[in-house]
Amino acid sequence: MNDITVLEALKQALRRLPGVGPKSASRMAYHLLERDREGARLIAQALTNAVERIVHCKRCNNLSETELCPICSSPRRDKSLLCVVESPSDLVSLDQSGVYNGLYFVLMGRLSPLDGIGPEEIGIPRLEALLDEGTVKEVVLATNLTVEGEATAHYIGDLVRARRIKASRIAYGVPIGGELEYTDRNTLARALAGRREA
Amino acid sequence: MRIHQQPAYVLHHRDYSETSLLLEVFTARHGRIGLIAKGARRASSRVRGILKPFQRLLIGWSGKGELAVLTGAEQDGPDTSLAAQALYCGFYMNEVLLRLLHRHDPHDALFEAYQNTLQRLRHDDTNEAVLRIFEKHLLRELGYGLVLDRDVVDRAPIEAQAVYDYIVDRGPRRLAHLELNLPTEGIRMRGASLIALEQESFAEAAMLRDAKALMRAALARHLGDQPLHSRKLFRRVVATATGDVMAEAGVDKAGG
Ligand SMILES: [Zn+2]
Repeated sequence: MNDITVLEALKQALRRLPGVGPKSASRMAYHLLERDREGARLIAQALTNAVERIVHCKRCNNLSETELCPICSSPRRDKSLLCVVESPSDLVSLDQSGVYNGLYFVLMGRLSPLDGIGPEEIGIPRLEALLDEGTVKEVVLATNLTVEGEATAHYIGDLVRARRIKASRIAYGVPIGGELEYTDRNTLARALAGRREA
Repeated sequence: MRIHQQPAYVLHHRDYSETSLLLEVFTARHGRIGLIAKGARRASSRVRGILKPFQRLLIGWSGKGELAVLTGAEQDGPDTSLAAQALYCGFYMNEVLLRLLHRHDPHDALFEAYQNTLQRLRHDDTNEAVLRIFEKHLLRELGYGLVLDRDVVDRAPIEAQAVYDYIVDRGPRRLAHLELNLPTEGIRMRGASLIALEQESFAEAAMLRDAKALMRAALARHLGDQPLHSRKLFRRVVATATGDVMAEAGVDKAGG
């Protein structure tokens, strides 16, 4: 039954990548086979390693090579603070800011009612179990400022407050180096609403 | 076909490629349309922040058929985002519109009703009533308007104190005294609830409950078997907020 060629199988495999259609898949396949076989071996090996060794951290749900990721197992982190983000890349951005010293929870998504993505699909039961452990005293809701991100923050905020834990939403404003003239008015409105003493 | 400066709301958006968005949009004069917003996901995109639900926009597009291409979009009026429970109500309306509207069927009056409902959701915390009124307008605009002002058998005006049996395809029929203790096939409600829905003013909680049961049944005809995702989530939210997990199971029974 299996009469597709090895080349065809490669193209079809590449098409599983987001944003890769038949044309790009074909271009990638020819590039790897014609010009960079060594690169192809590297990719294959890296993918195999990653798939075999990367799991979800059992505490924060982020991708990790260990059962408990380095952030969660660090003794220098404030375990009473929990920051909830949508994706691993959001975590990286926030952590690089260097001002936050608490722990994280990575949802790996956001509530999106019209796509059928509800609380279970984004690991909310695991977050609830974490809150029930009793070590977290404040939750910082750092989901995106999209309607879905807001809905997610609101939903989790209710769960947090129901446990008598403090919930806060990160503030949004004008980017540093951003000129007011070129900042959209919603951002400006929020920046004004969230102003602080100077 | 090129269209410019059309009042519109985004009903739903989905990532289309690394840089583009697929939009379902509700417009004033062209009804629901599907659009590709090329480059809208790039950090440099000027429309990135505004192509979101519940925000009145002026948009342009070109092309016809199932998917046209967005050629321009600007925010029309102030930021009109919804918060908290109103946000879930907004998702619910959008999901219902996506399920019931066909592309390219113009619905001017429904656009007006949708816009008014969003406005009310922002200021009014009696969300339930606002949603029932929207549903009433929606059914009427789709050609399935409910009879709310008279008995369908004898055409007599609805009496507040009488009890009616409402069969969705027909309308309300006043129950005779002897029938009150017998099972009937429709939804049973007081005349006052029908009048409240007709006049869009709900003085008592029981009126809202009746209206909800009636709307559930009426919409179920058109929504089919697939449950609404946003309704499920909304129920969860209400249950979480009130700490009442049983509400999740309870609410759904009404009207099926
Ligand atoms: Zn971790």
